[in-house]
Amino acid sequence: MNVPHYWYNINVDLPKPLPPPIDPYEGDSRIALLMRIMPSELLDQEFTALRYVPIPEEVRELYARMGRPTPLREAVGLERALGNGVRIYYKFEGALPTGSHKLNTAIPQVYYAIRDGAKEVVTETGAGQWGLAVSLAAALLGVKATIFMTRNSYMNKKQRVLFMRVYGADVYPSPSEVTKYGIEALRSRPDHPGSLGLAITEAIEFTLMGEGRKYIPGSVLGFVVLHQTVIGQEVLQQLPEEPDLVVGCVGGGSNFSGFSFPMMGMKLRGEGFEKTRFLAVESTAAPKLTKGRYTYDFPDTGGLLPMIKMLTLGHDYVPPPTHAAGLRYHGAAPSLSLLIKEGYVETRAYEQEEVLRAARLFARTEGIIPAPESAHAIKAVIDEARRMPKGSVIVFNLSGHGLLDPDAYEHEVV
Amino acid sequence: MGIRKPGLGTYITATYPDKESFPRVVECLVKHSDFLEVGIPTVNPKYDGPAIRRTHFQSSMKGLEAVMVGGYGEVPTILMGYVEDYVDKLPMVAQVAQEVNAVSVLFPDLIFEYLDLVDEYVKVMRSYGLMPSFFISSNTPHRIITRLVKYDPLFIYLGLYAATGIRLPLYIERNVREVRRLIGDVFLVAGFAINNPDMVRVVINAGADAVVVGTALLDKIHDQERCGEFLKWLRGGLQ
Repeated sequence: MNVPHYWYNINVDLPKPLPPPIDPYEGDSRIALLMRIMPSELLDQEFTALRYVPIPEEVRELYARMGRPTPLREAVGLERALGNGVRIYYKFEGALPTGSHKLNTAIPQVYYAIRDGAKEVVTETGAGQWGLAVSLAAALLGVKATIFMTRNSYMNKKQRVLFMRVYGADVYPSPSEVTKYGIEALRSRPDHPGSLGLAITEAIEFTLMGEGRKYIPGSVLGFVVLHQTVIGQEVLQQLPEEPDLVVGCVGGGSNFSGFSFPMMGMKLRGEGFEKTRFLAVESTAAPKLTKGRYTYDFPDTGGLLPMIKMLTLGHDYVPPPTHAAGLRYHGAAPSLSLLIKEGYVETRAYEQEEVLRAARLFARTEGIIPAPESAHAIKAVIDEARRMPKGSVIVFNLSGHGLLDPDAYEHEVV
Repeated sequence: MGIRKPGLGTYITATYPDKESFPRVVECLVKHSDFLEVGIPTVNPKYDGPAIRRTHFQSSMKGLEAVMVGGYGEVPTILMGYVEDYVDKLPMVAQVAQEVNAVSVLFPDLIFEYLDLVDEYVKVMRSYGLMPSFFISSNTPHRIITRLVKYDPLFIYLGLYAATGIRLPLYIERNVREVRRLIGDVFLVAGFAINNPDMVRVVINAGADAVVVGTALLDKIHDQERCGEFLKWLRGGLQ
């Protein structure tokens, strides 16, 4: 099997159109700002009319060098432990060098930034999976990376911070003392744990502070979802049977969407997967899918980006610290939000403790210690498998391993 | 009343810059356009870019009354408003459109946020002797675009960018070609950030039947001569 030649754009197959991004009525145009901060090709991909977007050969080559296609495995050990004859498959994105799916979009985003003449890429990160992926992509492609990492994660996930620096990145805790927004946040709350929304704002401000910088986001926006569909495109080739249930966890929505949208697209076009249910799983720490409003909101706390219509808890939402820090974002990708609103994707929220118990069962039966974020999907898979009839088939995205999340396991499981 | 192709359309918000000079602005636009789009001033022009938004905010009147200030008879006229303001008042909008001799009413938010209202919109337009027209973006779902074709619209309007007047680095030719492939022979209008003949040429060569200019006109409408020269210059792109 080869690395796919195309990413899949679900926007052109959605049951309803995505409402366009809009500017608020006060201040400068945020849509116009996008041109200054983001690589141009990414903006084109955000608004493309194509269903299939070609993956540049250089990107395909790097995908292959980094280990794509990733394996799709049957979770035989977990199946035996559950013992009710439900077959469970998982796509193992943790097999990539930085341990998560994030490299799938970090590589093309850095590639496009360089094509626009960037010497430095700037971004935010929650748990650090995205920051680590950007650090590696920047190292591979030969540019500098600067990462704003939510302060709570920065303090607790020291290995990821260390490895970002090994790859050559500069890493700041957010709120930081290098941007206006960061300084203001620290002044108002010295123990501020940080939020992804605030880290985005800091990354954008930092991008605008210097020459030759491009800002690249880790989730939510359409082109990020687009790049992640390399996962689902592979799954279409790898799955030996049509599943009854497709499961993934949701922070901003890129892993769930990238994994499931090629299957969902076939369902929407009437080309298969008619019986398949889709289940998006989130953390109760940021329950936008189950408790959020479908409305226009800013993707970032400071309101520097255009408003997008999505399921959201509000851009100033500050979630409680949890070990699944990657799931603490206030909103969800517009395409995923629309599919949830229209009833094509089911949702569920889990507490941290029950999720980590599921993670332990998976580790002991499959050998892989899952990332706390991915363990939300595992918890849902276990719950669903126990209810489904013998012979049912589940496939889920194991979006990352947890070998860089010892803090989660140290406090909750051991 | 059909629209000439390749055609150049112009957009202006009714009663901008003020009630008194608006008819003179229309006079210039009508003279140099193949069709006219007249915006119904609203307090919530959500999809518009900063320049067109200002025209809504500065228009001396708001709502349907404003479009009755001008006379637009010499070229096909399309009213343009946000359906959000008229969800329960579509017949009223159609009646005003009929009174000012408009041929259609275009609602940019109809497909995005009020898709369930499309059948009703078409029915009301037809019952007042008007033709439906639809606004889409480059990533509007293909099945929805092909469904719109079945309503036999006056035109489908493709917004080339995310908001009026804001040009992004998009491959607009590819997007126009893709939409043309989906809609067959239906009249295709493209707009947003059209401001020079080369761009007009690119969009027309890619498959659009007409383009609309709005934001780029705003600093010229006060001067009939500048306004006319600018539109003649733009028309060069239609050749």
